[in-house]
Amino acid sequence: MGYVDVSAVRHTLSDGRLLLDDVNFRVGEGARAALVGENGAGKTTLLRIIAGDLVPEAGSIARTGGLGVMRQFIGSVRDGTTVQRLLVDLSPPAVRAAWDALEASELTLMETDDERSQMAYADALAQWGDAGGYDAEVTWDTVTVAALGVPYDRCKYRELNTLSGGEQKRLALEALLRGPDEVLLLDEPDNYLDVPGKRWLEDRLLETRKTVLFVSHDRELLARVADRVVTVEGGTAWVHGGGFASYHDARAARHERLAELRRRWDEEHQRLVDLVRTLQQQAANSPDMANRYHAMQTRLAKFEAAGPPPERPPEQKVAMRLRGGRTGVRAVMAEQLELTGLMQPFDLEVWYGDRVGVLGANGAGKSHFLRLLAGQDVAHTGGCRLGARVVPGFFAQTHAHPEWQDRTPVDLLWHGEPDRPGVDRGRAMAALRRYGLAEAGDQVFRSLSGGQQARFQILLLELSGATLLLLDEPTDNLDVLSAEALEEALAAFDGTVLAVTHDRWFARSFDRFLVFGSDGRVYESTEPVFDETRVARAR
Amino acid sequence: MTLAVPPGASGPTPERSDGCRPAEVTDSSVDQAVDRLHVEYAGRLRPQLVVRVVRDCRKDLGGSPVGALPELVERLARYRLDRHIA
Ligand SMILES: Nc1ncnc2c1ncn2[C@@H]1O[C@H](COP(=O)(O)OP(=O)(O)OP(=O)(O)O)[C@@H](O)[C@H]1O
Ligand SMILES: [Mg+2]
Repeated sequence: MGYVDVSAVRHTLSDGRLLLDDVNFRVGEGARAALVGENGAGKTTLLRIIAGDLVPEAGSIARTGGLGVMRQFIGSVRDGTTVQRLLVDLSPPAVRAAWDALEASELTLMETDDERSQMAYADALAQWGDAGGYDAEVTWDTVTVAALGVPYDRCKYRELNTLSGGEQKRLALEALLRGPDEVLLLDEPDNYLDVPGKRWLEDRLLETRKTVLFVSHDRELLARVADRVVTVEGGTAWVHGGGFASYHDARAARHERLAELRRRWDEEHQRLVDLVRTLQQQAANSPDMANRYHAMQTRLAKFEAAGPPPERPPEQKVAMRLRGGRTGVRAVMAEQLELTGLMQPFDLEVWYGDRVGVLGANGAGKSHFLRLLAGQDVAHTGGCRLGARVVPGFFAQTHAHPEWQDRTPVDLLWHGEPDRPGVDRGRAMAALRRYGLAEAGDQVFRSLSGGQQARFQILLLELSGATLLLLDEPTDNLDVLSAEALEEALAAFDGTVLAVTHDRWFARSFDRFLVFGSDGRVYESTEPVFDETRVARAR
Repeated sequence: MTLAVPPGASGPTPERSDGCRPAEVTDSSVDQAVDRLHVEYAGRLRPQLVVRVVRDCRKDLGGSPVGALPELVERLARYRLDRHIA
């Protein structure tokens, strides 16, 4: 088993902002520690420091046991990465190195099949065996069967972008949980997982003997799994030694204590300032008082140099305003609609103002359905129409936006798009402020945290004038506060909403449910249905 | 990629680190290669030479994963035999 020890870590962003300072905590052997905090607080950055991707500006990390890392973006991989590559990347360094050497020697062999390259290849194979490569391959087979239902050999060349977000996550989690690493850093492992998947994750985290530090915004997961909670806020981190049930009280108490300490400091400061002022007047007439005056001045200077205690972290505010507009009474009409190979034909009528939750297991075709409604090219038979004045606005975090990566939010807002008018800097900043993104306004998109990117995409939706919101897992990556803000905004939205969600708590705010069953049937329900099992489809 | 070769797929492990290795290396990877190459080079090379080259190759490839040996041995032997003819 292993542990992680973080001491006195400091990290400054490239724009000079101090993100983390004096971060100290230990995740002991076998602990299941949650890492929580607002979007952009620095959780992912902290995990990257622990993993060694980033070197802290001050302080140090000590740890034992192999380290396995699952990054936040797994689930939204949209490049040509294959299943095989993902599994290699999640393996211990020795396996990774042996793999790369083996691949290189195979390449050489293909070009020049002489004795030297043959011996080099044989040698690389031997090293692969010594590094535990064959054992890893046996594990990978178990992993792909568990996560995707097919043996490793049949899916190793498959690109991740052909897997759903939940399938990508499941694959990585199976690999890490079954792998040899003793310490796991999991950045939002529950994103994109369907509800049975989240329950599975909870059970696996509870039964594993590995040491786990995981980031999550899902309160159900936090409540079931965490045995301590590390909070990143106010530019530093603090630890609650208990579970999530007692966390809110502990946090409130901490905030009160901070406020109290600060109040006392302010009072003491004021008292010293007053004293100095009084003594200054008295010193004018008495040399004896002059000495006391100078002594008091020194004391005040020392007091001020020591600095005030940290302030209670400010409450974050997020206000989303989704306006919409009146449309025809029938907003969406589907007749004998069938997405090729994904489900059986179904009929659907969605009325203006409806709030429809789209539920079902990972890989059932929910996202394809939303994309079809958004006007994208999705193979289907049967009919599907939008009503009069229905303007779809599509939100999916799994969608790659290569054209955004090197541009800033202010710039993207200024330019606008065909369906979204551009706005000047003043308006852009005002809108960004409402989304808690003012500080990130001039950062390139790629440097925004996962939750900041999600918030920004909701802002784009706000500015687009859509009257039909098509939301694919909108609360993933969002912290609790932003998820609540989104829920409020949806309640006030004048129009129709269809949202795919696996968020048990968010789903309850919808009034109709369209369930994509594991048997390929699509049916309506008045209550949320969370236990559709995984889709058994030939892949 | 020619992976997923289980390490013990063919025959017993001939080499041991404890040093008690058989004087003459014989295992299925040798037999298979000899059989095939024997047919392939019939009329061009003496069978005894094929056997000797294959055995040498097997020895030179000692330490390779057993499961991968048949392929490695045959490949190297074929390369060496071709050079012999040329
Ligand atoms: N190159 C950069 N320049 C400026 N700021 C940056 C840069 N890279 C990251 N940041 C900022 O660092 C902060 C921390 O990001 P990080 O990804 O660690 O947040 P997080 O806590 O994981 O958030 P989330 O819950 O949204 O995943 C964010 O405010 C982000 O915008
Ligand atoms: Mg993050």
